[in-house]
Amino acid sequence: MKYKENKNRILSDLLKKYGARIYNDLDNGIFPKFLIPSRSTRNIIYDKKLRQYVLGNNASMRNSKNILQLRSFTQLVWLAFFANRLIKEQKSSTLRDIYYSSQAFSIDFEDQPESDNIIVDLESVLSRPREDLHIFPEERSSVFGDLVIEYTVPGYEGKRTNLSDHPDGYLIGPSLSSAELIETSADLVIAIEKGGLFTRFIEEKVDKKFKSIIIDTAGQAPRSTRYLLRRLHDELKLPVVILTDGDVYGEHIAMVIKSGSANAAHLRELTVPDAKWLGVWASDIEKYKLPTIPMTESDIKRIHDLKKDPRYQHGIWKTELDVFLKIKRKAELEAFSKYGLTNITDKYLPQKLELAKSL
Amino acid sequence: MTFNESFNQISPSEFFYRNRDLAGFSNPTRSIYTSVRELVENSLDACDQNRILPNIYVTIQPTQQQKSDPKHYILTVDDNGPGIDHNHIPLAFGTVLYGSKFGLNQARGMFGLGATMAILYGQITTNKPVRVNSSIDGSNRHEYEILLDIQKNKPIIIKHSITSTKKKGLSISICLEGDYSKAGSKIRDYIYQTSLITPYASIKFHDPKGNKYNYERITKFIPSSPTIIKPHPYGIDVETLRRMISDTSYKISNVDNLMIARIKNELKMRGDVHNNYVVMKQTIKKRWPYLSSQTKTILSILLCLKLNFNQLVKIKIESIDIARNTLTYWNYEKSKSFVTQLNISSFYYKHLANEFKGDTLETFLTKQFQRVGRHTAEKFTEFAHFRPGKRIMLMTNQELVHLSDSLQKFSEFLSPDPSCLAPLGENLLEKGIAKFFNPDFVSVVQRKASAYSGFPFIVEMGVAYGGSIVNGIKLYRFANRIPLLYDESSDVVFKVINDIDWNRYKIKNESPLVIISHICSTRIPYKTVGKENVADRNEIERELKLALQFLSRKLSSYMSKKGKAAMEKKRVNLYFTYMPLIARFCTELSEKLKEPNYKKIFNELK
Ligand SMILES: Nc1ncnc2c1ncn2[C@@H]1O[C@H](COP(=O)(O)OP(=O)(O)OP(=O)(O)O)[C@@H](O)[C@H]1O
Ligand SMILES: [Mg+2]
Repeated sequence: MKYKENKNRILSDLLKKYGARIYNDLDNGIFPKFLIPSRSTRNIIYDKKLRQYVLGNNASMRNSKNILQLRSFTQLVWLAFFANRLIKEQKSSTLRDIYYSSQAFSIDFEDQPESDNIIVDLESVLSRPREDLHIFPEERSSVFGDLVIEYTVPGYEGKRTNLSDHPDGYLIGPSLSSAELIETSADLVIAIEKGGLFTRFIEEKVDKKFKSIIIDTAGQAPRSTRYLLRRLHDELKLPVVILTDGDVYGEHIAMVIKSGSANAAHLRELTVPDAKWLGVWASDIEKYKLPTIPMTESDIKRIHDLKKDPRYQHGIWKTELDVFLKIKRKAELEAFSKYGLTNITDKYLPQKLELAKSL
Repeated sequence: MTFNESFNQISPSEFFYRNRDLAGFSNPTRSIYTSVRELVENSLDACDQNRILPNIYVTIQPTQQQKSDPKHYILTVDDNGPGIDHNHIPLAFGTVLYGSKFGLNQARGMFGLGATMAILYGQITTNKPVRVNSSIDGSNRHEYEILLDIQKNKPIIIKHSITSTKKKGLSISICLEGDYSKAGSKIRDYIYQTSLITPYASIKFHDPKGNKYNYERITKFIPSSPTIIKPHPYGIDVETLRRMISDTSYKISNVDNLMIARIKNELKMRGDVHNNYVVMKQTIKKRWPYLSSQTKTILSILLCLKLNFNQLVKIKIESIDIARNTLTYWNYEKSKSFVTQLNISSFYYKHLANEFKGDTLETFLTKQFQRVGRHTAEKFTEFAHFRPGKRIMLMTNQELVHLSDSLQKFSEFLSPDPSCLAPLGENLLEKGIAKFFNPDFVSVVQRKASAYSGFPFIVEMGVAYGGSIVNGIKLYRFANRIPLLYDESSDVVFKVINDIDWNRYKIKNESPLVIISHICSTRIPYKTVGKENVADRNEIERELKLALQFLSRKLSSYMSKKGKAAMEKKRVNLYFTYMPLIARFCTELSEKLKEPNYKKIFNELK
């Protein structure tokens, strides 16, 4: 069975199951209710085996009898109803769309944060990312490389595309997210933090030189991008490496791709636990004599925060963090340009890839 | 309350003019209002004192309909009270400061001049006599028309006739100049509020325009009447002390036939023997050890003045001056007072002198003051450095001042006895408020008795909220069951209400709230004789504040309950809004064909 169809069917069944439960309760004169896993910080724990943040066992009851919850209960049921329609009609919508669509059903969200929150509620209940529900954020990142996909979105069903066909790369949008991954010649996925470097990598034919699929995460990788990374790793068995700026935020971008964020602790399948952070490490700054800029107060504060995170207690995660704290300076990916525009692809990348094998 | 001049030295009209502002007769508007008040209050006092359910009928009729205000009106107040003995009528209404309410219990009248001021005002402005009809037995009715002789300070009886009647009570009509168009609303407020604080009274008012206001009694229950009590040491100044001391020695002044019969009995004398002075003197000497002390005193006077019984009834002893050995008495027949030099060597003089040294301080304190026993009196004399056996009549001026000062300073007197007070009671107050304002919420409280400078007082308060009450906080002030309508902003109650932090109780300025405050005391500390506003006394302010805080808490808990009820309604509405939506969404989700029967769920909501 094809990936997407399978996925949609499972989800539809799940939604139907929940719908039926509510239906039966109402029919029996019972106020419907369900449990929503708690997303409070106390219930977010790091699962060492899964190597990501997960929700603990705490759950809160969303009860339609409780007047304070009745409204959000209704919103949640509406969202399930609406997502069900999206899935059935094979349409996608954005977070903002959801906020506006609700008004047609006399479900009014006070503002978009409120509707966003209900979306996360539904994700938690179903343990499925919003993308499965055909709800996408506006932020888009891009992908480039020799990868054939087959669209499943209406009007394009069965249509195939090679993601190296367009020199600017392809947006990781709803249709790409829902596409089937058919085949690739690549051995590697390189996720890179910056659009500028992504373009440079395409120009420098990094995809060919390193037999890789290049992905621009555009800063903190959006869920759809992390989701694609996961699929590339799981379905096509491609190793994932990550290149970021040489600062604490870069280090954390890599970490989120690898083991998720606390914000998405209610979701699985968004992480690539085997992903490797290639750089730019703090120790690379010395090593490659990169031009640096001093850290700001908030950079330093962020280091201290991360030092408390269980994932930063060992390995390069810990050592690099300590070095950052020691040198109190940071370097961007572009810093390599000091030694020529291709320095990063010609020198740095191969060295780091070599090194990564031993990580 | 001190007046400009004591009544004896000036004519009534002069008295009136000097005190008119204080007494509330400053202009035609105020005067007609004050007159209504004084007469209505007298009627209510009279009924209260005799435990009669009052029926009071007030009319104001213009003498000439056409004229414009201010003009002459006839004010009549008719009651079903005890009436006044016809012999006393000219005195009661023809003399300033004739009153029967000086005793220390709570009554509306205090000064003994209210009615007379109204009558004087009427006579001065219209030159018409006051008409008083009184029946004390419900069969004979004495009808008087009285003018006050302003020069001679004497009532002139223009007319006195007796007719038959079936109704007890007093009716008094005064012709006076007034401005009803201006005073009308205050008079109506007064009648309205009086019936609120006197729920056991029926009050009717017919105004000059032909409007009728009837306030039927809400209850037949008359609150228990106050007892008359002795003063408390804390309220006493030197002047009062002096009067009390002299009062204690005037027990002999009323020698009437009854008293004489008793004395004769004690002397075991028969027939007319006592008219023989010599025989009498011998009998007295013989029987002396067996006589009561009162009889001994009267007989001593009789013998010192060399009088017989017949002569004794015709005089009144005014004073005995032990220092000068003189006795002053008033001869009724000759309408004159006489001073007699006494023979100090006489046995009877010595007895008299001894008697006139008065009680010992200790006895005086225990007998004349409330809540002072032997033990307290002893402690007090020690505290004030007086001998307990000190004779009070022999006290010098200086000692009296010291005594009165010490009485104020001694901290171990028990607090004043409140049994002389007549609060309305929580039950009646609540009934009145519920009937008058038809509120959603009412709560009343009666604080326990307290005292300020020796005068006991009780604060009663009620709050009513919502219902027929219009928006805005409204205050109704009462003192000794009298509504206070003028000068609200200088009243202590107003101050207390203003000082409270209403936000704490979720009350806003525009909340539909009525506050009723009733202060009862043997002496309300009015700022003026007009009895319109109560001065701030710390003790009173404190009680008012506690009462108000108590009621505010009650009110705010009611309001939060009410808020809950409103929430409840909103809650049910929310179910009606959202349940159909949930039903619709889950029907599609579960791929069912028809919606669930969700309406059942509403049965679960009460
Ligand atoms: N309606 C009445 N029925 C019976 N007695 C009355 C009535 N009106 C007045 N009196 C008597 O006449 C007296 C004089 O009344 P007046 O109003 O002058 O003085 P007051 O009521 O004692 O004091 P205040 O000056 O404070 O009113 C009263 O004390 C009372 O004994
Ligand atoms: Mg009076």
